Amino acid sequence: MIERIKSALARCGVAMWRVNETVEETAELFFVKKQLDTRRSKDVRKYDVTVFRDVAAPGGGKPARGFTSVRLIAFMDDAQMDEELKGAYYAAQFAANPYFDLPDSARAPMARKTGELAEAPLARSAGKMVKALFAPDVHGDAFVNSAELFVSRSVHHIVSSEGTDVSYTDARVCGEFVVQCREPEDVEIHNTFEYDQLDERALSAKVEEALTFVRDRARAQRVLKSGKYDLVLSGNAVAEVLSYYISRSSASSVYARYSTWKRGEDVQGETAGERLSLTLQATAPYSGEGIPMADLPVLESGTLNAYHGPNRFCRYLNVKPTGLYEKVSCANGTTPFETLKKGPVVWAVTFSDFQMDAMSGHFGGEIRLAYLIEDGKVTPITGGSVNGSILEAQKNLVFSTERYVTAQYEGPYAVRLKGVSIAGAGE
Amino acid sequence: MFPTIDRVKPGLQKLIAALREIYPYASVLAVADDARAWRVSRAGVNISAAGTGGGTGFVVRVFDGVGCAEYSFNEFSEEKIPGICAVIAKRLAEQNQALEGVVPLPTPIPADEPAVLKKETAWKRNPRDVGDEAIVGKITAIRERAMAVDERVLDAQAAVTYRAYRKLFLSEHRDLDQTVMWTNAMVAVMASRGQEIKMSYHPFSVLGGAELLDEMDAGVERAARDALDLLDSRPIPPGEYDCVCDPATTGMIVHEAFGHGVEMDMFVKDRALARGFMGAYVASPLVTMHDGSAVDESATMFFDDEGTLTGDTVIIDQGILKRGMCDALSAARLGVTPTGNGRRESYERRAYTRMTNTYFQGGESTPEEMIASVQDGFLLETPSSGMEDPKNWGIQCMVTTAREIKDGKLTGKLYSPIVLTGYVPDLLKSVSMMSKTPELSGSGHCGKGYKEWVKVSDGGPYMKARIRLG
Repeated sequence: MIERIKSALARCGVAMWRVNETVEETAELFFVKKQLDTRRSKDVRKYDVTVFRDVAAPGGGKPARGFTSVRLIAFMDDAQMDEELKGAYYAAQFAANPYFDLPDSARAPMARKTGELAEAPLARSAGKMVKALFAPDVHGDAFVNSAELFVSRSVHHIVSSEGTDVSYTDARVCGEFVVQCREPEDVEIHNTFEYDQLDERALSAKVEEALTFVRDRARAQRVLKSGKYDLVLSGNAVAEVLSYYISRSSASSVYARYSTWKRGEDVQGETAGERLSLTLQATAPYSGEGIPMADLPVLESGTLNAYHGPNRFCRYLNVKPTGLYEKVSCANGTTPFETLKKGPVVWAVTFSDFQMDAMSGHFGGEIRLAYLIEDGKVTPITGGSVNGSILEAQKNLVFSTERYVTAQYEGPYAVRLKGVSIAGAGE
Repeated sequence: MFPTIDRVKPGLQKLIAALREIYPYASVLAVADDARAWRVSRAGVNISAAGTGGGTGFVVRVFDGVGCAEYSFNEFSEEKIPGICAVIAKRLAEQNQALEGVVPLPTPIPADEPAVLKKETAWKRNPRDVGDEAIVGKITAIRERAMAVDERVLDAQAAVTYRAYRKLFLSEHRDLDQTVMWTNAMVAVMASRGQEIKMSYHPFSVLGGAELLDEMDAGVERAARDALDLLDSRPIPPGEYDCVCDPATTGMIVHEAFGHGVEMDMFVKDRALARGFMGAYVASPLVTMHDGSAVDESATMFFDDEGTLTGDTVIIDQGILKRGMCDALSAARLGVTPTGNGRRESYERRAYTRMTNTYFQGGESTPEEMIASVQDGFLLETPSSGMEDPKNWGIQCMVTTAREIKDGKLTGKLYSPIVLTGYVPDLLKSVSMMSKTPELSGSGHCGKGYKEWVKVSDGGPYMKARIRLG
């Protein structure tokens, strides 16, 4: 198919291009309680073609460079393929942006992922993860209400007119499950998971923890009064807070002037807490543009070390293109979790949806389960909402020594923020 | 449009016949997709036709001795039919072996009543015919106007997205064919003060084509002024207030706070509190709620992704919960009639019960009367996000702006951002005024949990209610 696309590109007079071939196979299982709801599988093969076109500058000099992308599939005939590519190439002249060099050429044999998830039949891996998911579901009072499991294996192949020809394989298992507890109040908590290995133990541990949390939510009270509290966030909420720094350090944000951060600048400012150290982790050997990926320290002790992002914006900022990252690691962590959550404090465990707005620096969400810890007493609470600003909170961040790992995050399990506004549900 | 569908249809009918020799039920949904997005901002001009729509491909549904199973693929020809049948059989055998001992959820095979349909939605100007040059020129001019409003404007983004798709649903007794086109647009303006950036957002949507471009001019200055006003906003003192919701905020409450709770696949899972409230008052008698394709908006369609014909579902009638929305599998399990709400993110994903165009009916008041009736409260505008809680009817909705109302007048003071919380029936029962005309917006997508994004619209009239803000 790639040869067919190359021929079509030649017929259409396209000299600069990139083809991203993705082949994906999945096994998907859906459950209601422990009963099998639906089975699914898929085999798809997609070709995303990006065409580049130079537009002469009116006064001479470097041309503007435009590009558009189009998706082709194998059952298109040659005439359809030509029509799509001609349309894309025509459009590219109207998407002309300041000139940028295309990514440097990269060539290498296929990088193959190893391990059981990458090599075993998908159905077998799915069966193992299902057993891991339901293994802790033995309590009766709190149980798994429903679950979805997706096991996927993919091959990625990137070829370009500049000579790039790289490929790699990947395998993932992800999904979600809802835990429920009916007494004293009938409640649920929604959970998601994603692993790049067949990590049955991690999934079982996550379900076990979720069952504990939903039991506590069932007896949680709407007693918290509005005010400012020291707030402990844990798990995925920590990664969400840190996403502010990843967004502000991206080459696209800096180029668009949404971020004024400069390399070597102390972007955290004065702080009585820990100084942040964040590294972007490469989860694939190549970016979608065919750029070889490597771990990239972004913040070191609160100081911006590097910009990151796709080729075009990095070229504009005269930095080495890094590609787009999907995982961040945080090196912080000075305080054992038991000490970190010493009262008075609100430890918010789950939200309906916790979000960081990287533009404004505001973060917030509605509390599904939190613990009010004060005077040696731990009270499960529910309701109310957090409304904070990282611009204030970063002046006093304290992280746990305990670690937490997902497919998108590796770092402290928890962070303590000082004096965050919480609208209570207890008035 | 989409001659590919005509080309593959005879082969797909043969595929159904081949599968029916093996399975008691077989259907196929074929999707042909054409989408394009144009965007201008300080980051540059971007045109993309990849990844905007759901993609072109096929999904087969069969029932075997265990229950329902699906197979998604995007390569098809008549020669491949034996291979596709063999892959489905092999995958089912492997999955059934790996799940030995797992009990299937009893699922009657959904009804396959005879139906034949071929329809398309109307559009005045196909964005493809208008052309890339004209569209980029239009949104570039809009961006420049927004940038010129004030020097504190950091950036303005203008974008247009359209999707046209043709879907063909075939089973032993059904032959359904629809072509739909929707177009969305937006103007977003960012203004900055130090490290803090405030953004306002003005969406546009139509079940149609490039005729939407003519509407974009009206939102430019307003979006810029809103962003600048937000620079002087402050955090709101948490509390419960009399609020007037603009139609977009009403729409978010309709969709997030209540709509997700009446998606009946949640009834199957015992995840929806609403199941126990059928026939009960859950809202003020001023509240009547609809979902379906009786209105022309971005989620309008003639049949859903399981081959069920769509209509108008009255969910709340003058405050009383009448029924929910339902996909075909859930309907078979619950013993009810499906409502045409079985929707997929794409041919690659399963169908769930999903909303379409969801809205509150209009009332008798005017927005001016509603503001005049508030002693100490807020006008809520520009929703930014929301999350469902069908199990407990907890509200989490965020809006960008709360405009202070004192003694029946807007004071000019702004608060932002705002989190709405509380218990859904408390909010809906507190509704005391509705304006006359509902307005729908179809610029967004809706997720099920944190994934499965489908095009929806929602809305309603201006609505006065008592709401907890924080």
